[in-house]
Amino acid sequence: MTRLVRTELLKLATMRLTYGLLAVAAVLSALFSLLENNEAGTAGSGVPPISTADGLRTVTTVTGFAMLFAAVLGSIVANGEFRHSTATLTYLATPKRTRVLLAKVIASSCAGSLFGLVAGIIATGVGLAFAAGHGDHVALSAGTLVGHVGGAVAGAALLAAFGVAIGSLVRSQLATVIGIFVWAIIIESLIGGLYPSTRPYLPYTAATALAGTKLGGAAFGPAHGLNGAGPLPFVAGAALIAAFAAAAALIAARTTVRRDIT
Amino acid sequence: MAVIEVDHLTKRFTGLTAVDDVTFTVEQASVVGFLGPNGAGKTTTLRMLLGLVTPTSGTARINGRRYADIGEPLHVVGAALESSLAYPGRSARNHLRIAALAGGARPARVDELLDLVDLTGAADRRVGGFSLGMRQRLALATALLCDPEILILDEPANGLDPEGVHWLRTLLRDLASEGRTVLISSHILSEVAQTVDSVVILDHGRLVIQATLAELTAGGADLEDVFLALTAGHEVTR
Repeated sequence: MTRLVRTELLKLATMRLTYGLLAVAAVLSALFSLLENNEAGTAGSGVPPISTADGLRTVTTVTGFAMLFAAVLGSIVANGEFRHSTATLTYLATPKRTRVLLAKVIASSCAGSLFGLVAGIIATGVGLAFAAGHGDHVALSAGTLVGHVGGAVAGAALLAAFGVAIGSLVRSQLATVIGIFVWAIIIESLIGGLYPSTRPYLPYTAATALAGTKLGGAAFGPAHGLNGAGPLPFVAGAALIAAFAAAAALIAARTTVRRDIT
Repeated sequence: MAVIEVDHLTKRFTGLTAVDDVTFTVEQASVVGFLGPNGAGKTTTLRMLLGLVTPTSGTARINGRRYADIGEPLHVVGAALESSLAYPGRSARNHLRIAALAGGARPARVDELLDLVDLTGAADRRVGGFSLGMRQRLALATALLCDPEILILDEPANGLDPEGVHWLRTLLRDLASEGRTVLISSHILSEVAQTVDSVVILDHGRLVIQATLAELTAGGADLEDVFLALTAGHEVTR
């Protein structure tokens, strides 16, 4: 199994796409972090001033996009094998296909955690820089800030695993990539907007909540009303996303992964 | 001893029987041509043999085992299939590094194989820019990475220029002289006629004949005529 995971990591390391997605995730994290910092404390923006704990938390946890890019990477790790017919070689080396699926989940989670780490460091860095620029005192403890970065790592790793499962179920790369963004940005907003009590259980929202993003702040924008719903405890939230990923991977292993490679 | 045993193998896709009750064997250390026109079911048969396609019925075994049950399969069977191409964004070297790691080959094999298939000069170029002939040579290198005893090659001469075909023939003869078993498919008899000991001919998914070259050409019949006649469904007077 170690050899299989190392093989998948080597595949990731020798794809330019991995670095491209990481770069885009980093740039978007910086960009949105800057935008939020600019809006913070201005009338009608909905983002509290950075001098407050709530405000600083909002601007230092803009890590959702990196998590989505981690999910996209995971999906491409899975269905890219079919787009380029490399699945043939992969399954010739390892005929036990569920082992390949598991190795992809593990390797993609490793790569995904890097996305979360980079985005977490960027968002925190930009937020702290703005706070320092304003001469504000830092309203969150170092432990809390580090915890949010750790949450971004966990959220991105889990969504990358989920992405592998989705990519194993759907062989069209375009459909999965579009699907991931539509789900996170439109469908979760719709479901969460219509039924606010479901918000803690929506996978993208739950993943961003791990990183300290205000519940629904990623999908609905930081200015949305909370309507009383709170995020799940960290472990429960992580377990929820892991369960979604495991369920999707299990369905894939039983169905699409067994299909003929022609 | 038969190292490859295909027994009443059948594959039906929706509305099409691609392989229909095919039975043949390949003896150890023999070079067997797997022949038939395009669409005869050769590739589907090979893919069933390699565990990539699930048979509707029948079995395909290598050394008495299903492909999926062979531990370290790349050390036993090396396959170069038409579409087992590399990710276009990767260099040939990285493609082979991945295959070597996945199959459990020594890392030093990568350079040895690049050298063998004459791709050392292009090793760090992206595979997406390779010609069909270069891709075929890379596929052969991939198949040979773990030094397997059995080679399964699907149309390896496709896209090769005359020089490349000559190179392939020499390579196949070398591999055969080392005592390896080679099953090589082609839709052009003349490509393999000089290399193979015997042939398995498929047409419309069915086995037409398994015979040695000597048996086919007994009585002075021209091999090409025999092949065309067999795949056209005519009786041949031999």
